[in-house]
Amino acid sequence: MRNSKYYSNLDLKKTTSSNRLAGMWRMTEGFRLTYLAAIASLALAALAKTLTYLIVRNLVDKGLAESATTPIYYFALAFLGLAVFEASFTFVAGKMAARTSEGIVLRLRNYLYDHLQRLPFTYHDHAQTGELIQRATSDVDAVRRFFADQGVQLGRISLLFGINFITLLLLNAKLAVQSVMFIPLVLVISIVFFKKIEELYGAYQDQDGHLSAALQENLSGVRVVKAFARQDYEIAKFEGENYQKYQLGKKLLLGHALYWPVTDVICGAQMLLSFYLGARMAIAGEITVGTYLAFASLVIWLIWPIRNLGRLIAQSSTGLVSYRRVADLIDEKQEVLDKGISVSHSGVKGHVVFNNVGFAYNPESPALQQVSFEAKPGEMVALMGSTGSGKTSLVNLLPRFYECTGGQITLDDIDLKDYAKHALRREIGIVEQEPFLFSRNIAENISYGVDRQVSQQEIEAAAQAAAIHNVIQTFPEGYKTMVGEKGVTLSGGQKQRIAIARTLLKDPRILILDDSTSSVDTETEMQIQSALDKLMQGRTTFVIAHRVQTVMKADKIVVLKDGRIAQMGTHSQLLEQPGLYRDIYNIQNKV
Amino acid sequence: MYFEEEEFSTQFNGQTIRRIGRLLIPHWKWVVGFVSMIAAVALLDSIFTYISKLIIDEGIVAQNIPRLNQLVGIYFSLIFVSAAAVFGFIYLTGILGERIRYEMRRDLFNHLQELSFSYFDKTPVGWIMSRVTSDTERIAELITWRLLDITWGVMSIGSSVIFMMLINWKLALVVALIVPVIVIVAIQFKKRIIVQFRLVRKMNSKVTGAYNENITGVRVVKALVREDRNMQEFDELATSMYKAGYRAAWLSALFLPAVQIIAALAMGAVIWYGGLQARTGEMTIGGIQAFISYLVFMLWPIQELSRAFAEMQQAIASAERTFSLQDAKADVVDRPHALDPGTIRGDIRFENVDFYYEKGKPVLKNFNLHIEQGETIALVGPTGAGKSTIVNLLCRFYEPKEGRIRIGGLDYTGLTLHAIQSRVGIVLQTPHLFSGTIRENLRYGRLDATDSEIEIAAKLAHAHEFIVETDKGYDSEVGEGGNLLSVGQKQLVSLARAVLANPDLFIMDEATSSVDTVTEALIQQGMDELMRNRTSLIIAHRLSTIKRADRILVIEGGGISEAGTHAELIRQRGHYYNLYTNQFRQELGRQYAVA
Repeated sequence: MRNSKYYSNLDLKKTTSSNRLAGMWRMTEGFRLTYLAAIASLALAALAKTLTYLIVRNLVDKGLAESATTPIYYFALAFLGLAVFEASFTFVAGKMAARTSEGIVLRLRNYLYDHLQRLPFTYHDHAQTGELIQRATSDVDAVRRFFADQGVQLGRISLLFGINFITLLLLNAKLAVQSVMFIPLVLVISIVFFKKIEELYGAYQDQDGHLSAALQENLSGVRVVKAFARQDYEIAKFEGENYQKYQLGKKLLLGHALYWPVTDVICGAQMLLSFYLGARMAIAGEITVGTYLAFASLVIWLIWPIRNLGRLIAQSSTGLVSYRRVADLIDEKQEVLDKGISVSHSGVKGHVVFNNVGFAYNPESPALQQVSFEAKPGEMVALMGSTGSGKTSLVNLLPRFYECTGGQITLDDIDLKDYAKHALRREIGIVEQEPFLFSRNIAENISYGVDRQVSQQEIEAAAQAAAIHNVIQTFPEGYKTMVGEKGVTLSGGQKQRIAIARTLLKDPRILILDDSTSSVDTETEMQIQSALDKLMQGRTTFVIAHRVQTVMKADKIVVLKDGRIAQMGTHSQLLEQPGLYRDIYNIQNKV
Repeated sequence: MYFEEEEFSTQFNGQTIRRIGRLLIPHWKWVVGFVSMIAAVALLDSIFTYISKLIIDEGIVAQNIPRLNQLVGIYFSLIFVSAAAVFGFIYLTGILGERIRYEMRRDLFNHLQELSFSYFDKTPVGWIMSRVTSDTERIAELITWRLLDITWGVMSIGSSVIFMMLINWKLALVVALIVPVIVIVAIQFKKRIIVQFRLVRKMNSKVTGAYNENITGVRVVKALVREDRNMQEFDELATSMYKAGYRAAWLSALFLPAVQIIAALAMGAVIWYGGLQARTGEMTIGGIQAFISYLVFMLWPIQELSRAFAEMQQAIASAERTFSLQDAKADVVDRPHALDPGTIRGDIRFENVDFYYEKGKPVLKNFNLHIEQGETIALVGPTGAGKSTIVNLLCRFYEPKEGRIRIGGLDYTGLTLHAIQSRVGIVLQTPHLFSGTIRENLRYGRLDATDSEIEIAAKLAHAHEFIVETDKGYDSEVGEGGNLLSVGQKQLVSLARAVLANPDLFIMDEATSSVDTVTEALIQQGMDELMRNRTSLIIAHRLSTIKRADRILVIEGGGISEAGTHAELIRQRGHYYNLYTNQFRQELGRQYAVA
C-alpha cells in the first residue's frame, strides 16, 4: 500500500490481539525504548525524593548536634541538588511519555483515516458515521491517555511505593510492616469504589449524549416544532432528559462524597498509627529522631497515593475498552484497489455489457436478477423503475462499489473484476441528485477528482460548461468561496452543477447520472439539462431517469421491476406496447 | 455538524463577572456552606502538620509519653472532623454544581423555544448547542469547583504561613516573599499551557471534521479515486496535531517540576537558615520538619490556584456567549391581551404587506391578497420570488414589516401565536422528522391521536403503503432526522403528520417534490378530499400538482403578476402559459419527432 508510509509502514492489522494488554504492547512498536526511558526517569525521580528525606535524617541526627562539623549549607545544597534532579527527571519522564503516546496516536490516526476510506461499501452501508468518528477520535484519545497519563501515573505510584517501602524496611522492618497494614484495605475499597464510579460516570455521560441529541433534534427541527406549536411538548421532553442527568449527577456526587472522607479516615488513621509507633520507638531509643523524621515523611508518600490506584485502574480499563473498539475497526477488511489491469486513459472505449447479472445485498432477497443488456461506446442508457426496483444497485456495480454475485459485466470485452478498482473508477464519473461537496472552496471542489495540478482557466471552463460560472461569480469570493457551514449554502441545483463541472474535469469515458431535478424551478432545470447534455457527449451514459423527457433521448431504455428487466427498447418502441413504461408516460402527460 | 472550536476574548469584563456572581445569589446558603467547609479542611491540614511538629518537639525530643498520647488523641479526633468537612464540601459543591447546570440548561432551552425564526436563520445549530452544553458546564464549574479551589488555595497558603509565623517568623517571612512569586509564575505558565491545549482542541476539531467528511463523503472519495491525495492532506493535519499535542504535553509536564525547583530554593533556605538556628537552639527539629512539610504541600494549592485563575478567563468568555443567547429577544411574540378565538377559519387578507429579511433587500412590497375561506390557492414562480415568504408570514413565523394580515377580519397580531400555529398544517420540502418510530412522528401532528386515526391519515397521504413494507411497520425507527427513510418517504410521513393535525389552514411547500410520479398522482386524489372546505396554500414547481387549484397566483419579484384558474391563465398567454408550455414543450416536441 502506497499510503502506508504515513503510518511508518507498520501494518496495525498485525498488532491487534484478543488480549487487550498484548495488543496495546504491540502497538508501542518503535517507541519502546522511549517509553522505557520514561519509566526509568520516573524511578530516578522517585529515588531522588526518597534520598531527600534521608538527607533530612542525616541533618537531624548528625548535622544539628552542637558538635557537628559538617557545614549546614552542605545539607541545603544536597537538598536543592536532589530537588533539581527529581524535577528534571520528572520532566524527562513526562516528555518521553508524551513522545510515545503522541507518536502512537499519530500513526493510529493516519492508519484509521486511510483504513476508513478503503473499507468497502458493504461496510459503510451499515456503519454509522457518528460511531466511526467516535472510534477514530475519542477512543483513540483514550488510548493516548492510557500511555500518557494512566501508564505514567501507575508507574509513578508503584515506583514510589516500591522504593519507599524498601527504604522503610531498611530503616526499620517492624515499623515498615506496621505502616502498610491498612493499605490492602484502602486498595480494595478504592478498586471497588472506582469500578462503581466508572459505571455511574458512564451512565452520566450517556445521559449527556441523550441530552445533546434531544437538544440537537429540537434545534434542527425548530421549524416543525413551531409549525405544530409543540413548544410545551418539547420543553417537557427536554426537561425529562435534563432532570435525569441532574439525578445521575447527584448520584455520582454522593459516591465521591462518601469515598473520599472514608478513605481519609483510614489513611489518616494508618498514618497516625505509624507516627505513634515510630514516636514510641524513638522515645525508647530504638530509632533516632532523624530516622523518625525520615520515616514520618516517607510514610506519607506511601499511603496517600494508594487512594488513586483504584481510579487509575478503572480509567485504564476504559482505555482498554477503547483499544478493543479501535482494534475491531482495524480488523475490518479493506477493499483491494490496485490489483488488476490498469488501462491507459485513452485506451478505454466504453463498451459495457451486462451478461445475466445478478446481485444481492443479502442472499435471501436478490436486488438484481438475470440482467442482460449492452451499452455501445457513446450510447445513452436510461434506467427506469420505481424505488427499490434495482436502478441504483445496477449502477453501483459499474465502479465495483459492490461486486455482482452472478453473471458478468464486461468493459471493452474484459471482465470488470479483472480491472484494478482504481483504474476502473478513474474511467467512471457519477453525478448524483444531491451531490456531496466537501467543505473546501468551490475551485477545490471542482478540481477534486483530478490528480494533476489544474489551472484556474480549466476550472472556469468546466464551470461554464456546467452553467454554474455565472452563479459562482456572484459569490463574494468567487471561486475561493467556501462551501458549507463556513461559506455559502448552495441549493440542490447549484450543487448538482458543481458536481457536473467536477465530472467534466475528470473526463471519464463512462457516466452515471441520477436525473432527478424535481426540486428546482423550471429555469434552473433547463440549465442543468443543457449542462448534462454537454457532459454526455461522446460518453457511455447510464441515467437513472424519473421523467419521460429525459428518457426520450436515450438510445436504450431499460425498465426495471423488482430487480429484473421488465421492458427494454427505445421510447417509440416502448410506447407502442402496453406496460409500465406507457403507464408512467401517461400519468406524467396527463397534466 | 459543527466542529470548530470557539475563540476566546481576552479581556475580563466586570459586568459579566457581576452577572456570573448573581447566579449564586439564590443559592447563597449553599455557597456559605461549602466555602466554610473547605476553609475548615484547609485549616485542619495546617493544624495536622503543626501537631506533627509538637509530636516531635514535645513528645519525642522531650521524651514525654503522656504528652505524646494527648497529641495523638487530638490528632485522631480531628481526622474525623476533617472527614466530615470533606464530605460536606464535596456534597454541597457537587450538588450545587449539578443544580446550576440543570437550571441553566432548562432556562436556556425554554428561552430557545420562544425565539423566532429570524434568530434560527442566522445562528448555526452548532453554536447554540455549545452554549447550552459546554458553556453552561464551564460556568457551573467556575462558580462551584473553581470557587472552591480558590478558597482552598488561599486558605491553605494563608494558614500555612500563619503557622510558620508561629514557629519562626523570620523564616516565615522569607517563605511569604517567595510564595507570591511562585503563584505568579505558575499562573503565567499555566496560561501558556492552556493556550497550547486550546490549539490542540482546535486541531482536534479539524481532524474530527476531516474524518467526518471522509466518512460521509466516502462514496465520492471512492468514485473520484481520491484516497491517496486525501491521505497526504490528512497526514499534514495529523502531523500538526501531533506537534501541538506533543508541545502541550511536554509543557504541562514541565509545569510541576518548574514550580518544584522554585519551591526547592525556599526549602534550601529553610534548611540552611533553620539548621543554623537549630544549632543555637532557636529553632526546633520539629520546626524544621514542619517548615519542610508546609512547603512541600503548598505546591498543591499553588497548582490549583494557578489552574483556577488560568481557566477563569475561558469560563468568563463562556458566560459572555451564554448571556448573549439569554439576551436574544424573540421578535415575534404574543401581544398583551392577545386572544385565542378557537379557530382560524375565515377569510385571510394580506393588506399592503412589506417584508424583508435583510434591510434594503425587500422581498414583498405592498403585497395584497385576499384568500376566501375554503379556497385552494397555488403559488408558482421562480426561486426567490417570495412564495415561501408568504407562507412564513401567514404562519406568523415572521410578521409584516409594514401593513397587516387579517384572519377572519382580525389583525392576526391580536391573536396568540399558539392560536395560529396550532391550527396550521404545514408540509415542507425538506421534511424534518424526529428520531423515534414512524408512529411517534405521525402522532406529533396530534398528540392524542389513536392508532387507527394515525393509520387513516397515513393512508390518505399514501404513506401507509411504504410503511407496512418496512421491517416493523409503524413501529420502525426513522433514525436521526429521519435519515433511515428516503427524502420521498420523509415527505409522505410529514404529509400524513399534517393531515393528522386536521388543521384549519393547510400549507404544502414543495411537499411532494421527491415523491415518484405514480404516488404523487395518488396523493392528489386524497388531497382533493382533504382540501375541500379547507383553506389551502400550495407551492410547487410541478405544474401537474397545482393545476386543480381554485386560483393560481404567479409570484414574481415580490408581487402577484398573474392570477386566475389554470384555464384562465392559459388563455392569458402570460408567464404562466410560458412556464407551463416550457415544461412540456421539450417532451411533446420530441414525442412528435420520434413518432
